[in-house]
Amino acid sequence: MVTKERVEAVLDRVRPFLQADGGDIVLVDVRGNSAEVRLTGMCAGCPSALMTLHLGVEAALREDIAEFETLRLC
Amino acid sequence: MNPSVATLQDQIIVGPSARMHGVFEFLRVIATSESTVLVTGESGTGKEITARLIHESSRRKHHPFVAVSCALFTETLIESELFGHERGAFTGAIKDRPGRFELAEGGTIFLDDIDDVPLSMQVKLLRVLQNRTVERLGGTRTVPVNVRVIAGTKRDLKQMVGEGKFREDLFYRLNVLPLALPPLRERREDIPVLMETFIGRYFRRRGEEPPAISDVVRQAFMRYNWPGNVRELENACERIAQTCTCGTVRVGCMAASILIRAGAQPPVPAPGESVAPAAPIAASRPDAPISLDDRLREVEANLIAWALKVSKGNKSRAAELLQIKRSTLGDRIKHCGLDRPAVLPSDAVAEAAAV
Repeated sequence: MVTKERVEAVLDRVRPFLQADGGDIVLVDVRGNSAEVRLTGMCAGCPSALMTLHLGVEAALREDIAEFETLRLC
Repeated sequence: MNPSVATLQDQIIVGPSARMHGVFEFLRVIATSESTVLVTGESGTGKEITARLIHESSRRKHHPFVAVSCALFTETLIESELFGHERGAFTGAIKDRPGRFELAEGGTIFLDDIDDVPLSMQVKLLRVLQNRTVERLGGTRTVPVNVRVIAGTKRDLKQMVGEGKFREDLFYRLNVLPLALPPLRERREDIPVLMETFIGRYFRRRGEEPPAISDVVRQAFMRYNWPGNVRELENACERIAQTCTCGTVRVGCMAASILIRAGAQPPVPAPGESVAPAAPIAASRPDAPISLDDRLREVEANLIAWALKVSKGNKSRAAELLQIKRSTLGDRIKHCGLDRPAVLPSDAVAEAAAV
């Protein structure tokens, strides 16, 4: 089952870097096997950052949580 | 100046690592040699650039440098590629064609991925290296060739000889001047210079001045293991230059896969593997001081944690794995602060990694 804790554990792997660079990734919701996150701070407005973090974090979630489906950015 | 030398110089980035300085010193020693060189190094460590550098520093520099990857061809194609063929040698051989050896006449041939040459072909290659002559496929004429040979390999040829996958006689014929290129993770101190150079280069190529790079990005670069070595680092820098929109290189510009792996708990080294610390290294500038004692303690803690994990917490077995006395292990565990009672073997790994 996809739980907030399991998703947070994966987010925690990139979070220290983002926070140290004046940003953060916030878990907004977990619904079924998918999750919704929000990027805040310095990189939030950058289309490149949204693209790379979205793809990269989603791939990491799928790798760690077999049943994980999609990551949405809001 | 020879233009090819200028571009080559451009490709060689000298960092502070002793490992690479050793390589460059050795290159200087063998510059005037005519002997065969065997360049060993993982993918992306710069085997071809090294081969070109050897060629450009040799007396053969005004003659051709021909690089060929032996991994690209099938068994029959490789023979025709290296030694050439005569018209009618096989279907499709509509005219005579010289091989790479003949094209390199007077110069240097770089045979990359030599470990991929099939055994049957190795015999033929050996004969060419011994006799310095080639015979084109389908031909009867023996063509003398004056070519210096540099071979490149990702794998340990000596080990392949032991496994019967590489001919011993060919190995000795190639391994006259062995040159080992270290993986980037074993010379992390070169990462800042490489990063600055590549980021600067790719921004200037876009007609922009290189922006500031955040300390966090520098740390992530230092922590990541770079399995693709310098090539991977260069690609990461190119990507940053193409995607950065805010005037400062921040973590958001980086490939998330690098961030995620850099942020994961550093792997505990297996025996025989490099024990280069994967934990955060706060050297934000190439000349920032690094505490040798702290770094050594880090390496020590990593290895002890590994031994405790493998031995499932059995200290006598862990001491055996580390080839030290049981009592010494106890002292070292205390020294590294791994002796708190709550620390279970698996936690010890995380503890040690987080030092």
